[in-house]
Formats: sequence, C-alpha cells, structure tokens
Amino acid sequence: MRMRLNFRSGKPVYLQLVDQVKAAAAAGAIREGEPLPSIRPLAEELRVNRNTVAKAYAQLESLGVIESVAGKGCFIRKNGSPYRKDVRLKLLAEDIDQAVTQAHHLQVGKADFLRLAADRFDRFDHQRGTNGRQEVP
Amino acid sequence: MSDQPFAIETRELVRRFGHSNAVNGLSLRVRRGRCYGFFGRNGAGKTTTIKCLLNLLRPTSGSVRILGLDPARDEVAVKSRVAYVPDAVAFYPWMTVRDTLDYLASFRPRWNEAVERGLLDRFRLDTRQKASHLSKGQRTQLALVGAICAEPEVLILDEPTSGLDPIIRREFVEAVIGAFQERDAGDRTVFVSTHLIAEFEGLIDEFTIIDGGRDVLTLEADAARERYQKIYARFAVEPAGLELPGAQTIRRRGRELEMVASTDPSALLDRLRAHSPEALVAESLSLEEIVVATLQSGAAVA
Repeated sequence: MRMRLNFRSGKPVYLQLVDQVKAAAAAGAIREGEPLPSIRPLAEELRVNRNTVAKAYAQLESLGVIESVAGKGCFIRKNGSPYRKDVRLKLLAEDIDQAVTQAHHLQVGKADFLRLAADRFDRFDHQRGTNGRQEVP
Repeated sequence: MSDQPFAIETRELVRRFGHSNAVNGLSLRVRRGRCYGFFGRNGAGKTTTIKCLLNLLRPTSGSVRILGLDPARDEVAVKSRVAYVPDAVAFYPWMTVRDTLDYLASFRPRWNEAVERGLLDRFRLDTRQKASHLSKGQRTQLALVGAICAEPEVLILDEPTSGLDPIIRREFVEAVIGAFQERDAGDRTVFVSTHLIAEFEGLIDEFTIIDGGRDVLTLEADAARERYQKIYARFAVEPAGLELPGAQTIRRRGRELEMVASTDPSALLDRLRAHSPEALVAESLSLEEIVVATLQSGAAVA
C-alpha cells in the first residue's frame, strides 16, 4: 500500500492517512490480516510527526478498520464495522449528501449520479477481484 | 494531562538590548509532546527568546518556565532535561567524534548508547575523526547525536539545518522523527526555529509567528492549512455584485478571480458557488506561505 500526503488539500494530515487506509482496504490494495507499516518507518518516510501516524492508527482502530496486536503491530481487520446498520447508513448518508451537493453545483443530474455511483462500486469490486494490483484512479 | 506543566511557557517575556526590545511581551505555551514551530524574519527575536529559555540571557521582565521550572533558579535540573542544537556548532577542535560524545555524555544523567550507534551509522560519522576536520554538516550531525542520546524531554533547535545540503537536511529531520521520538513520543517535545519551514512541514503540530518580538499568530498546523487557502474561480461572465469578505489580495482578471482566504474559506467558497462558477479550485497554503502572508499583511489575523 502506498501512502501519499498532500499538505495543500486542507484536510488534516492524520485524516488523510485514515482515508487512504480505508480506501486501500475497500479496493483490496491491503487485505484482511495484512500488516500496516509500523509507525516509526512510516513517519520517517512521510516525514511527519509520529504522533500524527499514531493518531491515524488509533482512529482506524476505533472505526474497526484495523486491530493492533501488542508487540506485533497493526493489522487490517475482517470487514466488520462496530456500528449497527442504521448508524452505518446514517454515517454514509453524510458523505453522500456532500457528493449530492457537489453534483448539484457541477450540474450532474440524478440519473447520471446514480450511474456513476454504480460504476464506481463495480470498479472497487473489480479491484478486489484482481488482488488490488491496480490503483483506483 | 492538564495538570502537567507546559514543556515551555513564557509570560510577557521582554528582553531589552540598549534602547530596543528584541523580545517585547511574548507569551508562549508549548504543550508536552508537541512539535512546535517558531517562525519569523531575521531579527524578529527568535534567537533571543531561545537564549532566554536556556538561561543564556536573563529576561528584562516577564517569566520563563521549562517543564514548570525556572531555568535561572533550577539551572541544573532544567539543563539535564533539555538539549539544544544551534545553527553554528563549535566543538573542541582537538577532540575526536568519540571524545566529544564522551565529553557530552559526562554531563548527562542518561545516555542511550544504542541510539548513539544507530545515529553514527545513519550519519556515517567516523568516531576517530577530529572535530576540527568535520564539515559544517557533520558538526551539526554530531550536535544532534549529542542532543538525542541524552534523551532530553525538550529538544530546542535554532536554525539547525541552515546552510546544509539537502541530503543532510533530510537526514536531520528523519533523525528527529525516528530517534528523538523513539521512546514515548507523547513525552518528547521539539521546539524548532527555522526559515526552512517546508523541511519541517510534516513535523509541526503547532506554531507561533513572531514579529518585532511579539506573537502575531499562533495556530495548529492543520487548522492553519484549513484556514489559509488560495482560491481560484472562473465565471462565464464577470459576476456582478460579488462581495468577498475575508478575502485577502484579490486579483481580478475579467471573469477570473484569484484570492487568498485567511479566515473562513468555506464561507467564501459558498459565496462564489452561488454565482455558478465554471471552475472553482481551492488549495491550502503551505506553512511557509502562511508565514509569508502573515508577515506581509503586517497585522495579526486573530
């Protein structure tokens, strides 16, 4: 899994890490049981504070994306969100609202939006099918 | 957490030289475990402040506390828990690298030999080399080894990488991340004054910009990047009656607009979207650009 940071995105650095691990897990670029890089080498490689990486990992753990094993590091968990389904749907709705807002401003209608959503879904499924060798563009 | 003293705290710190105040009422609060940037022009009062932190200069008025202690009264206690790397490092010329490290270690309650070996290896420093034969970069590396091996709780860096080549600068920052934060990163505070801000961008949690010896802006780095954004918008036709509160340095070229938002970019973006732009792009300023924008605007944006 490759991680990249963009200090110009306006998004907090630790959140960029959280989102990249989540995206990589969804696309199969990193799979259940596989380890995440440990904090020190990743921090050195990305040239960020170790606390930033630690904060990202703590958040991923609380989201149920990864689990940390004492003395061994962090691993991708079996896809099992700790939240109930209605909570999960509500969380997702917030992200969809943002996309819908964006669609409105970009003058993308409902039909096109839904087609695009289905297309992206298939794309992630396909990625996982091909062992995540390709990156989702 | 909250009852722990700050790693560094100054209150209304003033240091006068002759008729002018190099530091003029500076109040800083650096929490433990933070990596804190201290930015400003040459002559803004950064080095004078740092010398007051280290008890190399006495404050004219105001107070300084390091880990809750007064560096003038508890000098030994403070010095055993703090390490300092200045921009120009001098060692005894007749000593070898080995002698120098042994000499530095003799003043320290702790000395981590494993870390020392790792750093000497990483920097490819020859322990038999005489200090007088070291390059500027190697002297800085040696000073950093001496600082990190003592496992201080507070590491103070004053322009540590100025005048060094890019490879040594990279290795310096990586050593601070990798070796200094080795133990409990939450208990290792870094306070760095530098003009090479991009070098330290990922490391900085929080920063203060000073000018004329006063604090002009103190912010968390993530919050600063969220708040300071460069916005570009292009419209089909020049928008009429578009007001842009909170935008600095607006450049209009017909139906194109470029501006820097320094308070609430999302409100500004909403305002621009309401005029249905053909293109709308926002990107954060880097910390370096934020420092430049703040100092050029001449006034603090609270």
